[in-house]
Amino acid sequence: MSESNLREFGSATRRSVAPDFTAKIFSRCGLDRYTVAQSALGDVYVAWTENGVSALRLAQDEHAFEVWYGERFGRRCVWAVEDDPSSSAARAKLRGENVTVPLDLSDCSPFEQRVLEHAAKIRRGHARPYGWLAREVGTPEATRAVGNALGHNPVPLLIPCHRVIRTDNSVGGYVFGSDMKRTLLEEEGVDFAALERVTRRGFRYVGSGDGTFCLPTCGSVAKHVDEPGYVGLRSLEDAHNHGLVPCTSCRPIAA
Amino acid sequence: MAVACAVVPEDSDAVLAAALARDLDRSFELLVIAYRVRIVTFVARMLRDDARAEDVAQDVFVRAYRALQAYPSERRAALRLRSWLYTIARNLTRNAFRDAPPASESLDYDDGNPRSALLDPDPSPENVVLREETWNSVGAAVDRLSPALRDAFVLRYFDELSYDEIAESLDQPVGTVKASAHRGLMAVRAHLEKNDE
Repeated sequence: MSESNLREFGSATRRSVAPDFTAKIFSRCGLDRYTVAQSALGDVYVAWTENGVSALRLAQDEHAFEVWYGERFGRRCVWAVEDDPSSSAARAKLRGENVTVPLDLSDCSPFEQRVLEHAAKIRRGHARPYGWLAREVGTPEATRAVGNALGHNPVPLLIPCHRVIRTDNSVGGYVFGSDMKRTLLEEEGVDFAALERVTRRGFRYVGSGDGTFCLPTCGSVAKHVDEPGYVGLRSLEDAHNHGLVPCTSCRPIAA
Repeated sequence: MAVACAVVPEDSDAVLAAALARDLDRSFELLVIAYRVRIVTFVARMLRDDARAEDVAQDVFVRAYRALQAYPSERRAALRLRSWLYTIARNLTRNAFRDAPPASESLDYDDGNPRSALLDPDPSPENVVLREETWNSVGAAVDRLSPALRDAFVLRYFDELSYDEIAESLDQPVGTVKASAHRGLMAVRAHLEKNDE
């Protein structure tokens, strides 16, 4: 057995390390890491901890992001040399792939977490009113608190808080501005012109030929309101008179 | 998914030390990337327990980070990173032995040192089966070395540290580590020849 054979053996039998090896070390050192990812909003800063993605932000530059992160989370965030499973998943999700991104929402209150978990279920191309989300969360009176919780969303886009709009179907506030929110929703297929027409005519729901009635923001029903098989509804009574039952996807009334 | 082994040219240590001296937090990941495979492998060879090796290796880097935080930047810049990290790795591996004391064992090692004198856990039957599948006879021969020889042997022949670096890591005179590495090599060769017969 020559010395070079031994060296060969030494390198051939090197161990590999688990994908979260570095993240665990950084977590114990009190450091989070971040990178830049492409998204529907352009380049965004994405930060993560050992447990998942902790923040997504637009920022002027790296310094501005690091300052913001330190103020919000009380932890230092440093530029990552390598991606982790969390940041790779976020990248894929922001590209439009259907992947689950591990999230670290530990900075949010239990109520905020509950609101965000429900908001996360709103599908692309759909929108829901703040009041609807308050009801889904189980606190129908807390519409304002729900709005605040969405405003505190540390991971916009990854949790699509932009899909929650006002009851009159106007766009409402957004961490990156209302214009940005409208643009995002339009790119996802939400037709604001159709929604405005429906709202102007006093329709609160839209009935369809399959015997159900929906919120106007359930997919593209608002656009079809004048087509055969669809009907605009001003009230729940209207819906009952047409013999319609609530859509199980958008749940227009409390169960 | 496993992370590939990174190659560390020796002169890159000076560059790395300078970066750590300038901005520890921003450069620390480079240190982890450069040494994680080496340190996990070294700990696994010493501990002979791959599952625990990763935890101990993480401890090594956390310990390193905290030490670097406490050092003034001139001291960081002057560090010989390789031997310094191996020193931490060896100490923490020793602590890991102490935390999980070995079952008493009368068998002597191939190099003549008594097993009872060592802080080295007796491998469980599952580990033995696993190791027989993954380690060839060289691995078995190295396992049969006493830790005193194995430290020097592994650092010299597998991790390719210089005798100076090994001496620094083990806090022993250069002559001693040379002798240990050589005795380890002889014992490994003897073991292999015995197996060939």
